[in-house]
Amino acid sequence: MIQNAAFREGFVEADGFRIRYMEAGKGPPLVHLHGAGGMRLSRGHDLLSEHHRVIAFEMPGFGGSPENTGSATMQGLAETMAAAVQALGIGQFNLLGTSFGGKVALWLAALHPDRVLALVLEAPAAIRAPGSQPPSGTPEEMARRLYAHPERMGPIPDVDPAVRARTQALVSRLRGADRDGALEARMRDLAVPVLVLFGTLDHVIPPAMGRFYKELIPNCHLVFVYDAGHAIAAERPEAFSEVTADFLSRREAFVISRTETLIFP
Amino acid sequence: MKISYFETGRYVPPPDLPREWPVASGACDPDTVSIALRGMADRVKFVEELGFDWVSLSEHHYSPRILTPSPAVSGAWLAGRVDKIKIALLGPIVPTSNPIRVAEEFAMLEALAPGRIVAGLLRGTTNEYLSYDLNPDEARARTDEGMELILKAWTEPQAFGWQGRYFQYRTVSIWPRRRNPLSPTYILGTSAEAGAFAARHRLGLGVSYGNFESMAQATGYYRQQCAQYGWTPGPDDIIYRANMILGATDDAADDMLRRRDTQAPFPLGDGLRDALLKADNSRNIAGEKRPANVGGALPISFCGGPNRIIEQIRRCREVIGAGVLDISLTDPGTGNLDAMMDSLALFGRTVLPRIRDI
Repeated sequence: MIQNAAFREGFVEADGFRIRYMEAGKGPPLVHLHGAGGMRLSRGHDLLSEHHRVIAFEMPGFGGSPENTGSATMQGLAETMAAAVQALGIGQFNLLGTSFGGKVALWLAALHPDRVLALVLEAPAAIRAPGSQPPSGTPEEMARRLYAHPERMGPIPDVDPAVRARTQALVSRLRGADRDGALEARMRDLAVPVLVLFGTLDHVIPPAMGRFYKELIPNCHLVFVYDAGHAIAAERPEAFSEVTADFLSRREAFVISRTETLIFP
Repeated sequence: MKISYFETGRYVPPPDLPREWPVASGACDPDTVSIALRGMADRVKFVEELGFDWVSLSEHHYSPRILTPSPAVSGAWLAGRVDKIKIALLGPIVPTSNPIRVAEEFAMLEALAPGRIVAGLLRGTTNEYLSYDLNPDEARARTDEGMELILKAWTEPQAFGWQGRYFQYRTVSIWPRRRNPLSPTYILGTSAEAGAFAARHRLGLGVSYGNFESMAQATGYYRQQCAQYGWTPGPDDIIYRANMILGATDDAADDMLRRRDTQAPFPLGDGLRDALLKADNSRNIAGEKRPANVGGALPISFCGGPNRIIEQIRRCREVIGAGVLDISLTDPGTGNLDAMMDSLALFGRTVLPRIRDI
């Protein structure tokens, strides 16, 4: 099966940026904001697109887009992405943020609580262990940080050094302190249901960071994805998409098991 | 050296009891069972007075050979009846268990006997998978994931969900909580997987029944792995479970060894045994392939009068590095209870006081 074959490329104008996105599927809209490495579609996206209209944005300054000198803060980038979703004619939506994109997504939900129906944070980087750094280096070095089992994964495509330098500068400028008091204060007031996912073998953000989200966000569910690293959707796509789709569909009720165990009728 | 007594729920079988596993449940005599299980407390009080450091318990099913299908129930019975000795559950068979239940039971036992519960987690030998219908091909992966989940349930202070390969829980938040979540905890097994898991989580390792040299392979691998994770295990981090024949003299012990029944009590039928051996080819010692153990007779690792036994224990410490020796002084399932109590008394009188400095 060709991965992501169903995804179509599109562009939308927002806040003076021309923003690329990939879209597939029908159903409730699910907006995805990627991590510091840029948009990288995985089998997790394919599986989510079976039940959702998945719109995976490439945020301004990442990938092939021009250098982003316009986003001064994470809040600013979050406002830009909210405007991009609006420009697609989508008012309310589910939101998925990965790592760096998890922090953008949290700001977006805090700034537009009436628009975000439910929020899923995949290995979010909004609360980090002291001194932590985003993955960098050769594709092999990146793979060792991103995956629990790099030997089971395909190679990470090498990135044009100019693009990488531009992206790293943007991430360094926006990512902020390991603990962001202003964001954490807003997290305490979030009413939206939130699902936080951490791989048990995350080598970028320690999974123990998950407990801080539970402490701060009133309606927060923390789920550990066993044997996954930082890139959960890529490494354990079935496990990732099942819990994400179940949460988006049933919100808090996703804790009520609907798994059938009947062997023979 | 710390000494542990392996309590197996000594059922004295009548001569006409069927000998093949599984033993028909209808052949179980309720009165004999009660004597055997209630007697655990008397035997453990006895070894506690002799100065034993631990009593160990295990999980086995469908025969009276080791009559403790639920280590948690055995542990709870003892926790209410002895005061000083540590109670080591070595341990629940993880791949056939609900890991959350295991985590809760240990936490509950520890609340009942603070500071006296030792946790052991294991994959179990291949024959154990027949009891609860576990596919041997899935046993390793279920064990690894189940153990990770148990550790997470003990250590994570917030409610969490678990999206595993073999286990899925949306909500986990155990009460009671272990006082000291990971100590003392042992991973039981000689495989490379067991050694690496224990090292990665800074836990102890328990090995059993093999000769000193092969067990040294397993503990050596474990120590190498610990070094890779930046720590050095001490003697108390290694348990060696073994059979011992202790006589008043070397000759007496050698005579008992010669007269020992080399047929395992309640063995599997030949066809089933062979099929099981074929079904599980994942067994290894420190990564070196070994045939599965499917319930055969277990070897005697120590044999002699007190002096020779002490020298063997000294060598065990040197070769394996074990600081906890978990012993059976007669084969489980043989029903020779008086002989075992005599041996325990002899051990307590003549050996135990002389091995403390080993």
